[in-house]
Amino acid sequence: MVVVLLPSQLENEAGGQRRFEVEAETARGALHELPVADLLFDERGVLRPLVRVYVDGEDARDGLDEPLAAAATIRLIAAIAGG
Amino acid sequence: MGLLIGTRKGLFAFDDQGALHGPFLEGWGVYHAVSHDGVVYAAANSPFFGASVQRTTDGGETWERAEELGLPEDSGLTLNAAWHVEPAGSRLWLGCDPGALFSSDDGGVSWTANEAVLTHPTRERWQPGAGGMCLHSIQVAADGTLYIAISAAGAFRSDDGGESFTPINKDVAADFMPDDPYPEVGQCVHKLLVHPEQPERLWQQNHCGVYRSDDRGDNWVRLDKNGLPSDFGFGIALDPADPDAAWVIPEESAANRVTSGGRLGVYRTRDGGASWELDSEGLPDRAWTGVLREATSFDSYGVYFGTQSGSVFIRGHQADGWEEAASQLPPILSVESGSWS
Repeated sequence: MVVVLLPSQLENEAGGQRRFEVEAETARGALHELPVADLLFDERGVLRPLVRVYVDGEDARDGLDEPLAAAATIRLIAAIAGG
Repeated sequence: MGLLIGTRKGLFAFDDQGALHGPFLEGWGVYHAVSHDGVVYAAANSPFFGASVQRTTDGGETWERAEELGLPEDSGLTLNAAWHVEPAGSRLWLGCDPGALFSSDDGGVSWTANEAVLTHPTRERWQPGAGGMCLHSIQVAADGTLYIAISAAGAFRSDDGGESFTPINKDVAADFMPDDPYPEVGQCVHKLLVHPEQPERLWQQNHCGVYRSDDRGDNWVRLDKNGLPSDFGFGIALDPADPDAAWVIPEESAANRVTSGGRLGVYRTRDGGASWELDSEGLPDRAWTGVLREATSFDSYGVYFGTQSGSVFIRGHQADGWEEAASQLPPILSVESGSWS
């Protein structure tokens, strides 16, 4: 089971929930299990540029298709940007 | 009648009794919101999470996001932003950047991209303006004709419900195209409106002037030389009871986008644009703000606009001047007359 933690900005969009447990073999697979997958990826399946993905504390933006360790924790962060 | 106010930091709304509610959709930039048959729809965009259309039926307590908005793969395009929702009977239209039109026949749950716009034969001559290549104006006239306008592609008319679109930009200037300042397409329309009671009469505030058409866009007459301080501005408002009346809010220039003359100057015509007069009773004498393309609205009661400095002003058609209905809101992106409950 993989744990996914959402940033606060997505809590409302995810039905008031920030912590999800999903079955997935990769980070990409895990993110696609979420009710906010359409907000994380564009219509071509490309991760939106200001979404940061950390797997067990390591930057995984470029490793979304790497196999996950058992009981991995994925943390999503909205990049520091905007005004 | 209430008022829906989209801001860079969510949605606010005046209800029918004049009470202000919100913010809703915090974290989202609400480019436009509209009410229709008891539902409020918001074109909401996030720099992090993309474009969406949100809807509520319970006064903003809960919101539902439309199914994934996206452009077909063979278009080679990806969606940048949702700009304008326009109800027309049981159908909803949605204008988006880059130059895309969607429709929904299930109350905004799912949206289908319009092929005629995506594959328009002139599309390679379209180019994005400073706000992206936004399809910001959608008008369904009382005679059923569909009009759209894109910055900077120009205005288009569809006589077949969106199956095809004809450019309607004759004699509309595109001064930023020095080789051909009156092209077939490529004009930078800032806002296009059809008069609600006189469907052949169109108005537009353009990057290069203010125009009126009396023949469904086949021909345009330029009006800004008749007393406006500049040719540049964004919003335009009409009076349903008077097809010859219009309001615009000129800005200094394309290079200096603040309200003209160092004041918040609204200009009104009551003769179809043959002349304009300053209509600023109740507005600040000293102001260097701006009013964006979606931030002007009107209905049978009056005219409304919101500023980038967070004020909302209202003027009843029978009133002597303007009243500030709200201030200190986040920068206002849109104002729309509509119900909120």
